[in-house]
Amino acid sequence: MKKKLNISILALSFLLVAACDDGFDELNTSKSGAISLDPVFVLNNAIINSSPSSSHVYEEAIVQQWFSTNTGVLEGGNFNKVNVNNTPLNWTNYYQNVIRYTSDVISHTKEDEERANLYHMARIIQANAFLILTDTYGDIPYAEAGAGYTEQLFFPVYETQQVIYPKIIDELTQAVAALGVAGKVETGDALFAGDIAKWKKFGNSLLLRAGMHLTKADAAKAAATVTAAIGGNAAANLIIVNADNAAVRHDANFVNGFGNTVNGTEAANFYLAEPFVNALKGTPGNVGNTTVLDPRLGAIAIRYGGARSGGDQTANSFANGSKVPSDQFGTPIGSTDGEADLSGALLPPGGSYGTPAAPRTGNRFSYSQVDRNRMVKRTSPLFLVTASQTNLLLAEAAMRGFGGLTAADAPTFFSAGIRANMEQMESYDPGCKIATADIDAYVAGAEGTLSNGSLDAALPQIGYQYWVASFLHGPEAWANLRRINYPALTPNPNSGSQVPGGFIQRLTYPDAERLVNTSNVPLTKEQDLLSLKVWWAQ
Amino acid sequence: MKKYYLLIGMLLFMYHQARPQHADLYAAVHKPAHVGQQEKDSGPLKQALVEIERSFQVSIAYKDEWIENKHVHFSASAFRAPEQALDSILKDTGLYYEKAGDKFYVIYKRNIRSAGAPQSSAVAMPSVYLSRMDNFTSPLIVNFSPTRTIELPMLVSISGTITDENGNGFPGVNVVVKGTASGTTTDTNGKYTLSVDNENATLVFSFVGYKTEEVSIAGRTVVDVVMTPDVQSLDEVVVTALGIERSAKSLGYATSKVNADQLTINRSPNLMNSLQGKIAGVNISSLGTGPGGTSKIRIRGQSSINGQNNPLIVINGVPIDNTNFGTNPGNLGSDNSIGTRGGGATTDGGDGLTSINPDDVESMTVLKGAAASALYGSRAKDGVIMITTKSRGTEKGIGVTYNMNFMDDQVLDFTDYQYEFGQGENGAGPASPNAPANPVTGQWSFGPRIQPGMTQVLYNNVVVPYEPQRDILTKFYRHGQTFTNTISLSANGDKGGMTLSVANMDSKGITPTNNYNRKTINLGFGYDLSEKLSFKGNINYSNEDNKNPPVVSEQDNSIPTSLYAMANTMPLDVLRDNQYNSQGGEASFSRFTNRVNPYWALSEVKQNIRRDRIFGNLSVKYDFTPWLFAQVRVGQDYWSRAQDYRNLPTGKNSLAQGGIASATPGFVNGLYTQDARTFRETNVDFLVSATKQFSDFGVNVTAGGNQMYRRSDLNSVQVTDFVVKGLYTVQNGRLKDPLYDLSERQVNSLYGSAEVNYKQFLYLNATARNDWFSTLSKDNRSILYPSVSLSYVFSESFTMPAWLDFGKLRVAYAEAGSDTDVPPYADKLFYSTSAAPFAGQPVGSFGTTVPNASLRPMRIEETELGLELKLFKSRVGFDFAVYRKLTIDQIVNAQISNASGFVNTRINSGESENKGIEMMVNLVPIELADFQWNFTFNGSYNESKVLSLLTANDGERITVGNHVFNGSLAQVVGMPMGQIIGNGYRRDDGSINPENKGKIVFGADGLPLTTSNILFGSALPKWVGGFTNSFNYKGVTLSFLIDFKLGGKLLSGTNFNAIRHGLHKMTLEGREGGTLDANGNDPGKVIGDGVNEASEPNTAFATNENYFSVVRARALIEPVIYDAGYWKLRQITAGYDFSRFLKASFPIKGLKLSLVANNVLMLKKWADNIDPEAFGYSSDNVAGMESPTLPTTRSIGFNLNVKF
Repeated sequence: MKKKLNISILALSFLLVAACDDGFDELNTSKSGAISLDPVFVLNNAIINSSPSSSHVYEEAIVQQWFSTNTGVLEGGNFNKVNVNNTPLNWTNYYQNVIRYTSDVISHTKEDEERANLYHMARIIQANAFLILTDTYGDIPYAEAGAGYTEQLFFPVYETQQVIYPKIIDELTQAVAALGVAGKVETGDALFAGDIAKWKKFGNSLLLRAGMHLTKADAAKAAATVTAAIGGNAAANLIIVNADNAAVRHDANFVNGFGNTVNGTEAANFYLAEPFVNALKGTPGNVGNTTVLDPRLGAIAIRYGGARSGGDQTANSFANGSKVPSDQFGTPIGSTDGEADLSGALLPPGGSYGTPAAPRTGNRFSYSQVDRNRMVKRTSPLFLVTASQTNLLLAEAAMRGFGGLTAADAPTFFSAGIRANMEQMESYDPGCKIATADIDAYVAGAEGTLSNGSLDAALPQIGYQYWVASFLHGPEAWANLRRINYPALTPNPNSGSQVPGGFIQRLTYPDAERLVNTSNVPLTKEQDLLSLKVWWAQ
Repeated sequence: MKKYYLLIGMLLFMYHQARPQHADLYAAVHKPAHVGQQEKDSGPLKQALVEIERSFQVSIAYKDEWIENKHVHFSASAFRAPEQALDSILKDTGLYYEKAGDKFYVIYKRNIRSAGAPQSSAVAMPSVYLSRMDNFTSPLIVNFSPTRTIELPMLVSISGTITDENGNGFPGVNVVVKGTASGTTTDTNGKYTLSVDNENATLVFSFVGYKTEEVSIAGRTVVDVVMTPDVQSLDEVVVTALGIERSAKSLGYATSKVNADQLTINRSPNLMNSLQGKIAGVNISSLGTGPGGTSKIRIRGQSSINGQNNPLIVINGVPIDNTNFGTNPGNLGSDNSIGTRGGGATTDGGDGLTSINPDDVESMTVLKGAAASALYGSRAKDGVIMITTKSRGTEKGIGVTYNMNFMDDQVLDFTDYQYEFGQGENGAGPASPNAPANPVTGQWSFGPRIQPGMTQVLYNNVVVPYEPQRDILTKFYRHGQTFTNTISLSANGDKGGMTLSVANMDSKGITPTNNYNRKTINLGFGYDLSEKLSFKGNINYSNEDNKNPPVVSEQDNSIPTSLYAMANTMPLDVLRDNQYNSQGGEASFSRFTNRVNPYWALSEVKQNIRRDRIFGNLSVKYDFTPWLFAQVRVGQDYWSRAQDYRNLPTGKNSLAQGGIASATPGFVNGLYTQDARTFRETNVDFLVSATKQFSDFGVNVTAGGNQMYRRSDLNSVQVTDFVVKGLYTVQNGRLKDPLYDLSERQVNSLYGSAEVNYKQFLYLNATARNDWFSTLSKDNRSILYPSVSLSYVFSESFTMPAWLDFGKLRVAYAEAGSDTDVPPYADKLFYSTSAAPFAGQPVGSFGTTVPNASLRPMRIEETELGLELKLFKSRVGFDFAVYRKLTIDQIVNAQISNASGFVNTRINSGESENKGIEMMVNLVPIELADFQWNFTFNGSYNESKVLSLLTANDGERITVGNHVFNGSLAQVVGMPMGQIIGNGYRRDDGSINPENKGKIVFGADGLPLTTSNILFGSALPKWVGGFTNSFNYKGVTLSFLIDFKLGGKLLSGTNFNAIRHGLHKMTLEGREGGTLDANGNDPGKVIGDGVNEASEPNTAFATNENYFSVVRARALIEPVIYDAGYWKLRQITAGYDFSRFLKASFPIKGLKLSLVANNVLMLKKWADNIDPEAFGYSSDNVAGMESPTLPTTRSIGFNLNVKF
C-alpha cells in the first residue's frame, strides 16, 4: 500500500512536466481568428475606409462649408490652426485603414493570376488613398508605405509629390488597362459587386482627377493624363451618370463618419458656414456670385432658430427645425463660441416655434446645420467619385482643350454636372430629393449655364459648382480650391490664424511621424507649415 | 530599571522559603481539591489564580509585582480546563502563560511567541526536571506525582549565583545536572544550591526565553553563570513561496506578516484596503469607485512602464486570478481580453481580492522582493501576497464564532468653491433680465453677483431664489453602510479537523442606487490518514452582486463629474424634479449635454455585475521519513461573470436627438451591452522536500513542478436603437454587435531550492525555476529564474553587547518575470471577419500591431540588503531593507510610422529601475502593569527611473495614458516613471528683457500662451508609510494610525473643471469691470500678470470666463498640477474584551467589541477642493490623472466577535 502510493506520487509528478512545451504551438493558435482569409473581404475593409469622412475638422472648414466654433478637440480649419489631434486624421485613416489592407490584398494577389482583377481593384483603391494623402501633406511615403508586415519596413522613406504623382498615374493606367472583363468576377466586392466595367470607369475617373490636379504644375502631363482617362469616349470610360458613382453606402454597422459625429456628442457643435449658405441662398455679394436660391440648400440644411442648447435642437422642441432655404443662416467663418453666441442672438427667429410663444433669443445653436436626419444620417452614403464631379472636370478639360474636347463641349458637361449633383441628393435620403422642376429651372437659369467664353470666364462658374458638388467630399473640394482658387472665398479672419490672410495649403505631418520616422520626415518642425503649398498648387 | 527592562521573564519555580508570599501557592498544591466553588464576581487576580490551582490541581508560578492590583471577573467552575480558565482571566491583563510541565503553568509578562498575536493555546516547553533535594528540610517544592519522585544520594554540594544580562540576580532559573533528573531553581536573588554525585558533571541552566547554558563543574563548588536572552525562541514561522514554512531568521529577504486582526476589525469591502499605510514598501490605494471596487497594490514601486503591476495573489499556496475590471480607459479584462465596451460605462467592476471574506483569513504574508517570490518565476515580478485561510480549528472540540461588523460611511466634502457669483456665463444667467427659461448654464458659475432677494428662472416655469447651494455632495449622497455577518464553525480532533464559515456582506454605496452584496462560504479541512499520509484542502465559494457601480471619471453618465462642476446656485431639488423632458428623455440642464443630470443618471444609468466564483485546492502529503516528504496539489480558480450595462440610456441628452428618438426613425436611442465571461485557471504542482542535519550543517532541498493553464472566454453583445423604450435586452436592440473572444495560455515550470545552514545562524538559500510559456515562440519559450540569498544572524555567532538581543543581516539577489505581458497569439497575424456584412459581403480585418515572434517576457533583477535588530530586550526593534530592482526586457509598444500601415510593434527594449529603502521601527516606550504603549513606524522611500525605451537617449518618451480632459502621462528616459505631461504657460525667455525671464506670456487676446509637452513631475509617491500608536490600559485597547504618501504630483480634473466652470476661488479675479453687453450684463475683465510677446507688461485683457476657460481652450494644465501628498489620521480602533464578565453558565465563552473609525481626519494636503486620494483608476498608465470620482468617506463602525 505504502509503496504503491509512493510510486504513484512520483509517477504523477513526472507526468506533469514530462514534456515542458507539449502542444504549445497549437495552444497559441487563436481560435477566434483565422490564419488566412479571402483577400476580397480584406479589400472591402479598405473600400469602406476610403470614405472621406475624416475631413470634418479641416477640409470642410478650410473650404468654408461646414465648421465648428468650438475650440479644443474640434479646433483646426475653423481657426486656421494646427491641432495636432486632427492634422493626422487623413494620415492615419488612409495609411492605417486603407493602405494596410490594400497592401495585404496586393501581396496576396500579385502573383495569383486567377485573382488578377482583385489585384487591380486593390491598386485603384490604393491609388485613391495615395492621391488624398499627397494632396493633404505633400511629400509622403509611397513606394515603401504599407509594408510594415509584409516587408517589416517600419520607417518608410518619403518621396516628393512630383515623383509620386506620375507613379499614381501609372498605377491607375496599368490597373484600368489590366482589369479584364473576362477574368474572375470578384463577387465579394462591396463597391461594384465585381462589375469590371464600373471599376474601369472608377479608375479612369480617378485618373482624370489626378490629371486635372496637375494643370498648374505640369500642364503637359495633365493633358496627357486626361487624354488617357477620357480614352476618346468620355461617356464610355468615365463616371458621368449617377448610376456609376463610386460610393461607400454606409449602413448601420459601417456608419458614415460625418453622420456619426453629428448624431453623437458633437451634434450641437457643427454648423453650416456663412459663405456656403449665402451662396446657395443667392445673398448679394456671395462667393459664388449667384443670384438665385439653389434648391440644394433645402436638401442640405436645417435650422433650429432660437435654440440655446443642443437639447433645443429637436423636432419637438420650441426650436423645431426649419428646412425652408430662406430661413437658413450660416455661422460667420472663424467665429468663436462667444462671437457666434452674440451674432446668433441677432438672427431672425426662423422656423415655426412651438410653445411657449414668449420672445426668445438664440445664440450659436440657432444657426443652420446640415440636417442630420437627412443628408448626414449615420447611414447616409459618402462618395469617392461622382458623375457630377467628373462632368464638371470634363467641362474644365474641354475649356482647356484636353483629351480631344473643345470649349463647345463644356456647357453640356457643366449642366450635366449640376444636374447630376442635384439628382444625387436623393441618394442621401428620400427627404433630400429635389423636385425635377426645380432642377430644370436652376439648370436652365444663369447659374446652370456655362457662359461659353474663355477659360478665365468659365473657371469661376465651374469652380463654384465643383465646390458645391464636392460638399462632404472635403479632400477633393479643398484640392480643387487650391488649384483654381474658385470660389473666391475670403480668408478666415480669425485673429489666431496661423496663415493670416490666406488659406491652409497643406496639413502638417503628424507629431508621431516626426517622432518615430525622424530621419525620413522631409521638413523640419519650423518648415512644416500650414501655409506651405504642395507642388501642384505652386 | 529592571522593572522597565524586563521584557521576557518567566519564573518556572519559586523557592518557597525565599518567597514567603508564595507560601499559599505552594501550600495549595497539597491541599485537597476544593469542590463546589462559588461564583465570584470580581476579585484580585491572585485570588483567581489560587482558585484555578485548587480547582484543577495545578500549580501556577508568577511574579507578584505582575499580578498586584489586577482585578478580574472569574469563576473556575465555568471552565473545563485550566488553559481555558487562564485564557479567560489573563486576557487583556498584559500577561501570558505557558504550560511548563505536567500540571504546571508559568505566567509571564510578554508574549514570547509573536508580538501582537493573542495568546494561543498552551505549547509544550522544554521538559522540566523535578527532583527532591536532600538539603531541603521542607517537602519538595513541587511534587505532583509522588510516585515519580526519585531519591538521590548527595555527594557534592554546588552553589552559585545566576545573573541576567544586566548583572541582576536571576530568580527561577532551572538548574539540572546533565543526564540526570536532579536539579533545582534559583531563588529571588538568583542563588542556588545543588548536590551532585559526580564532580565532573555538567550543569544545565535554562530559562524560557534565554539561552540554555551548559557548564562543567570541573571540581568547583561554586558555579556562577550569566544568562543571555535567546532570540531563537522569539523566532516566527513564515509562510514563504509555494506555501513552504520557514523560520523567519533563515530568510535572506524581506517579508511582512499581517495579523488577521488587522483585516477583520477595521475592514473595508476589499480586503487589502484595510492595510493601507501599515506595511513598509507596500503602497495600497483604495479607489473612489464604490464598495465593489478595485484595490490598487504596488510593492516596491511600479515595476514596469506598463499599466498593471499587481502582485500575485496566492491562497493556501496556489495562485488565484486577480484581474481587475477597474475604470481604466480602454481597460482590458482578464488576460488582455476586451474590457467594458463603449463610452459611458467607466465603472469599477472590482478585482479578484473582492471575493475574499476577511474573516476567513488566518494569516497573510507579503513577499516583497524578487528573492522572496523567485519560486513563482514568471509570475513574481511584483511580489506576492500569500494568504492562508482557516483550515482546521486551533482548539480541540467544536467551536463556533460569530462576527458582526458594521461600518457607516459619511461623505467628506473638501470643496472650497466661490459662492459670490452664481449660475451663468459671461456675467449673464438665469438671474439676469430677460433670462431664458431654460437652464443652459447648469454647469457654469460665471453669472451675476449673488445678492439677497434675487431670483432665477430655471426650466420653463420654475422660479427659485438665486442663492448659494452649498454642501451638495453631502445632500446628494447618502450614508454608505456595510454590514457583514460571518458565522464559522470549527471542529478539531487528533487526526484532523475543519472550519466552515458562511458570511454575508451587504454594502450600501453612498450613491443612492449602488448596492453590493457578497456571500461567501469557505471550507477548510485537513486530516491525517496515517502518521505519514495527510491531506488538506480548502474551497471558497463567493457570490457577488454589484448593482449600479458608479460611473466615474468621465463626461457622460458620471454623477461626480456633474456634481463637482454643478453651478453653485443650482438647487438639487429642481434638478431632481425636472429630470425628464416631455418625451421622457433627459431634460437639458446645461448646454454641455454630456454632463448628466445626476438625478436622471440615478434613474436611468444602470449596471449589474454578478460573479460566481469558486476557488480552492486540495493537497496530499506523504512523509516518507521524518526528513523527507512529497506533496501533490491541485488548485483551481473558476469564475463566471455576467455584466450588463447601459452605456447610454435611452434619452441621454448628449445623444443628438435630445429626446428619445433614434437616428433611425421608428426606434428609440440608447446603447446597451451584455457581457458574459468565464475564467478558469488550474494549477497542478508537486513538491518533494528533504531536510537533514549533518553535524553543524542543516540542509533542506526542495524540488517541484507546476503546470498552469488559463482560459478566458468572453461573449458580449452590444445593441443600439431599441424597439420598446425602457426594455434593455439584446433582442430589443435593432442593431447588434456580437463579440466572442477566447484566450488560452499555459506555463509549465520546474523548480527547486536548496538551503544550507551553519549552526542555525548562517543560512544560504538558492532557488531556480524554469518556465516554459505557450505564448512564446519555440526558440525562446524556456526561461530560467534564479535566486540566491544569505541570512546571517550575527547575534548568534558573536557575543553581543547586552542591549542587543538579536541582529541579522540579509542579502539577496533574484530574477523574476512577468507572464502576462506577452499576450497569447502575439507571434502571428490573425484575420477576423466583421460581425455584420457590408453591402452583403464579409469584411475582413487584422490588427494594427505588427506581430513579433521573438518576444520574451520582461524580467526583473533585484538586489536587496537588510538588517534586523532587536534591542533592549525587544523593546526596540528595527527592520531595514535597501533594494534595487531593475526591470529589463520590458515590452514597449514601439510606435512605428503609420505610413507602414501599422501603428506599433512590440519590442523588448524597455528598462526601468526602482531603488528604495523600507524600514520598520517598533518601540515599546512604556510598559507598566496596567498600561502599555506600543509604537510602530513603517515607511518606504522609492525612487524610480526609466532607463530606456526604444533607445537609452535621455528625453525619449512614450505616452502611456491620457487624462479624460487634458494632459497625459508619459514615460521619459532618464526621468522618474509616470511623468505628467501637457501644456504649461509660455514663459518669457528673457532674451529681450532679462528682468522678465520666467514671466507668463500673454497673447493679443489677453489669454496666456502655452508651451507644449512640459513635464510636471512624477505622479508616483516617493514616501509611503504610517505610524501606529497602540495603548493597552487594563484591557482596553486603543490604537490609531497616521499615514502618509508624499512626493507625487497629480493633475486634477476636478479643479480643471472648477476653473473653467467658474467655481474655483481663483476665478473671482476680474469678475466685474468689463464691457457691459446689450442687456447690461458684466462679463468681467482680467488682465493677466505677465508680459506680451514683445516682453512688455501685458495690458491686453480678456473677459473673465474666457480667461479662465483657457485651461480647456488651450489644454493648459499647469494651474491644476498639485502636490498629491497627504497626511491622514487614517484609523482609530478601540477594543475591549468582555469575556471576563461572562458567567460560566452562559453559553457564550468570549465576547469582544471593537469600535473603529476610518479616514478620520485630513491632517495635511496640498490639492485644492479634493481629497488627493479620491482617485478612480487602477492602472498605472493613468497614475495621477485625477478626475471626479466618488468623494472619500469617513467610516465609523464596530466589530463584534462572539465565541461559543
